[in-house]
Amino acid sequence: MSDAVHARVHLFPVRHHSPRTSLVLRRWLDRLRPALVLVEGPEDATPLIPSLTDPESQPPIAILGYRTDGTPGSALWPFAAYSPEYVALRWAAEAGVEARFIDISTGQSLARDVAALRIDASEPAAEPEESIWDTVAARAGFRSFEEFWEASFEAPDYDEPGFRGALLEYAELVRHEGHELSFHRARDAYMARRIREAAAVVAPETIVAVLGAAHAAALAADDVDDALLPALDATVPTTTTLIPYSFPRLAEQTGYGAGNRAPHFYQRAWDAGGSFRRAALEVLVDFSDHLRLRGFMSSLADTIEAYRLACMLADIRGKGEPGLDEVREATVATMCRGDATHVDTFLWPSVIGRNIGKVASRIGRNSLQEEFWREVEQRRLPRTDAPEEFVLKLGDPVQVATSVFLHRLRVADIPYASYRGASAGARATVDESAGGIAALTRVREAWQAQWTPSTDASLVERIVFGETLEQVCRRVLEKKLGEARTTSDAAGVLLESVVASVAETLSTALAACDRLASADDDLPSLATACRALSGLIAYGSSRESAALGTAAIPPLCVKTFDRAVLRVRAACDGNDEAVAPVKVAMRVLNEIALAQPIVDRAAWIEAAAGVAHDYSVHPGCAGIAAGLLYLAQAMNEEEVALLVGQRLSDALEPARAADFLAGFLEVNALVLVKSRPIVAALDAFLNAIDRDRFRDALPVLRRAFAHLGATERRYLVENIVALRKLGGSAGTVAQVIAAKDREKLESLSDDIAKAMDDLDDLL
Amino acid sequence: MNDIRLPAEQKYADEIRALADSDRGPRPPGWAMTPRAVETYVTGSDKAVGGVTITPKYIGDRSLVQVAIATLASDRALMLAGEPGTAKSWLSEHLTAAISGTSSLVVQGTAGTTEEHIKYGWNYAMLLAEGPSQRALVPSPILRAMRDGKIARFEEITRTSSEVQDALISILSEKQVAIPELNEMVSAQRGFTVIATANTRDRGVNEMSAALKRRFNFVTIPVVDDLEQEIRIVTKREAELRSDYQVGAAAPEELARMLVTLFQELRGGVTKDGKTKVKPPASVLSTAEAISVLFQSGILAQSFGSGNVTATDVARALAGAVAKEGAEDLKAVREYCETVAKGRPGPWKELYGAAKAALRS
Repeated sequence: MSDAVHARVHLFPVRHHSPRTSLVLRRWLDRLRPALVLVEGPEDATPLIPSLTDPESQPPIAILGYRTDGTPGSALWPFAAYSPEYVALRWAAEAGVEARFIDISTGQSLARDVAALRIDASEPAAEPEESIWDTVAARAGFRSFEEFWEASFEAPDYDEPGFRGALLEYAELVRHEGHELSFHRARDAYMARRIREAAAVVAPETIVAVLGAAHAAALAADDVDDALLPALDATVPTTTTLIPYSFPRLAEQTGYGAGNRAPHFYQRAWDAGGSFRRAALEVLVDFSDHLRLRGFMSSLADTIEAYRLACMLADIRGKGEPGLDEVREATVATMCRGDATHVDTFLWPSVIGRNIGKVASRIGRNSLQEEFWREVEQRRLPRTDAPEEFVLKLGDPVQVATSVFLHRLRVADIPYASYRGASAGARATVDESAGGIAALTRVREAWQAQWTPSTDASLVERIVFGETLEQVCRRVLEKKLGEARTTSDAAGVLLESVVASVAETLSTALAACDRLASADDDLPSLATACRALSGLIAYGSSRESAALGTAAIPPLCVKTFDRAVLRVRAACDGNDEAVAPVKVAMRVLNEIALAQPIVDRAAWIEAAAGVAHDYSVHPGCAGIAAGLLYLAQAMNEEEVALLVGQRLSDALEPARAADFLAGFLEVNALVLVKSRPIVAALDAFLNAIDRDRFRDALPVLRRAFAHLGATERRYLVENIVALRKLGGSAGTVAQVIAAKDREKLESLSDDIAKAMDDLDDLL
Repeated sequence: MNDIRLPAEQKYADEIRALADSDRGPRPPGWAMTPRAVETYVTGSDKAVGGVTITPKYIGDRSLVQVAIATLASDRALMLAGEPGTAKSWLSEHLTAAISGTSSLVVQGTAGTTEEHIKYGWNYAMLLAEGPSQRALVPSPILRAMRDGKIARFEEITRTSSEVQDALISILSEKQVAIPELNEMVSAQRGFTVIATANTRDRGVNEMSAALKRRFNFVTIPVVDDLEQEIRIVTKREAELRSDYQVGAAAPEELARMLVTLFQELRGGVTKDGKTKVKPPASVLSTAEAISVLFQSGILAQSFGSGNVTATDVARALAGAVAKEGAEDLKAVREYCETVAKGRPGPWKELYGAAKAALRS
């Protein structure tokens, strides 16, 4: 021990979320009765302490620090009822003693680096699982650090000085290892300075400082370097508040900083005054209930045996009381008859628990949180930290409103519900996104919702964008609109505005579409926008507010369509890669032309015919155009046969002809293979190709014919058989071919095997 | 001595004595040593105990051995379940040797096992001559274990008929056997319990009645899936076999590694790097099977080969091990050699060449 002031105050080393630490700490505080309690935690959250310790607040709850300068960024400092920091604060509140946080502020930790900006970053200080901890555990003969901790610190009933000494000694051993050492050392210095400042006012002997074990060890050894302090100078503007937290999130955190495998188990131990025996028994009784509920046999004798076995195992392992591993192994051996599946699938969640904390009403929710919780309550949406699925029928106005609410959350990027497809069980396919054009035609929506602390955290953060969800969505969509460079981007925003029922952006998005379309030369973008607009007219939407913009949509749709049609010819120039999206766009335009009466259908037919007959454009586009024209009944079979025949007659450039064929087959294969004149032309074309050129054209041809399904293939073969006048003998031929094929294959397989063996011998 | 194999309590008599002598803790009634000493005996120890090195008998999860020992100290019997060749009987033998000092009180469960094997039978000549008497009584291993407060072993319990299993229920719950002919009641002494083994591959554990299952705590012995661990087990046991039978040549470590890799990859249906799918054969490729293949290839090399074990010897021994369930399995291994072994260096290349000849069906 050194004479430094920060070493003279009563330092208490803790591990976050450790019930044993908390128990010992509380006894120690009762004995010392300090005049000031200093706790490791962001110092700008000190004003929140009264709310944190308010009897109305129920842990798990977390301090949320979030940036207020518009950049997204936040971090959480969670507390369970058995977290030593929380226990120290509660003790101070009950004893009427002042308590203060002394760690660096939320602004400083958020400024540190991008890595700490994750939402739900449990702790800016949380070390990831570090090898040093595991190494120490393995040396002591334990399988994991958690088990080592449980056996060495959690289960034994320590007296206060004993625990303090043991943990300090242990921390002294390992504190020089790990990541970001200089940052932790800087925090040591920062907290030491705060302690010295406090000790200038209050006698150091009456101060208790509750710190993470490594920090406490550094301070006790006076291993503090003030020169590191400038590293912490950077800061960003932040605000802090309290939000509810949950056991499942608490269990997700690993490593020494926060490791907490089974919050509910530890909560039980804490409630039982630190008796892990009692906690183990409660868990086993709980397991037995669960098994019986699910129809498995589980008798009281099994429970008794499991408890006895757990205690016996703890004894063999030299632990004072059974921990999680003993409970698990005893359950498997007794109740589950050696089979671990039940434990892993449905029993284990019960030791993690589903509890969600409650924040005292004095802290107040912001308007977004209010809105969220009001809606969730009214609409009977899931409120727990466990995924739940449900289906909305979009014929019912109430359920439509629910859908709007969920889509608003999605647009505002608040993690709560995810779209799962059009019906329960079916999963959303890759191209079926939650919003967009697909959302317009839906009559059912399946969602999966789960509240997590990050839901509340996001709600708190998003308040900078607006007071209501609609306003937040508006800001988000306006921002997207501002970044939109193409018509399709703007149309995307338009659709999102409809799906999320944001009336304000609807009109601005329409205006943006109009503005961008006039300058947009990109056919695919125009086509996408046009489809969005046409979709809005055709399907309307289950959303009422869509009515707001309907008057403006049809003219814009017509205009966009016209612009798109004008650009068809120009877009069809280019290489394979460039025309691939153009092909899609052409099909989209054709779809709109056929489905939407208000657009200029004739113009499209004309443009398409132009492309189909134009030999200077990419032949694939010409093929598509021809196919689409036939589909639109703007061309009859003879005309198609003529056109295809013309194209295919070009045996000198077979690759171009093959491209055309591929384009045509992509749209409508059946008509081509059914028409005898076309097949005749095709046959003649293939026969006429020069040997060398055939090789060049082969890949394209292959691709073209790969589109054919079984039915189309049959038609094609039938037609060829008829053409070549194979007629009656075809059946026998087919049989002979089949038999020959088989023979050939068999002889071939022997040959191959032989060749393989030869090859091996050679090698 | 010409015994092929000594029971564990004789073979490791020094270790058991040393552990029992050096260990002062409280012992469960009827036990020769404390639970912790039993654990040390089974899993081995780096430090010598009383001047004797304790070799590991079971290589694997410690916690599993601890659950087994903790169960034996309770009033429930212990059931070791698992795939064939996962060292269930091996573990049961060593547990009884350490705790009771004898591993010979064993009932081998078969379809022909009758109630007499579990309770008692009669020496009929004596019975006719003297009438029912203690001398005419032939006690079963379980009855002897009850009288002496020892642990009885019941191998392959699922092979026995349900009548036999039912007879065991009353013994395990009452801890008494009535002999009405002698007007006597044999009560189990402290220390009595049963270790049963059950094979999950053929008539599984599910064949047992719920009432019987309730009398047991279950420990499932896993198939080893850690490569280094299985190599350790295979080489160690193979060396023991060689010294027991005094035959065979020692295989180089790289061959043992190759063999165990092959077994693990065929068992898992995928190569260790996760890149190639392999068709798993139907026969059980257990650790015990790997030990026997390696042992056999040593004998082949010594008797018919150059005296040094080569991949060719391994391939020939392998054929016998996988051919049990029919030609399909041979094909599976051949496919494995074609797709996996061929591309690998060192002994794999030789194995590939030899396998083609050895594995022709």
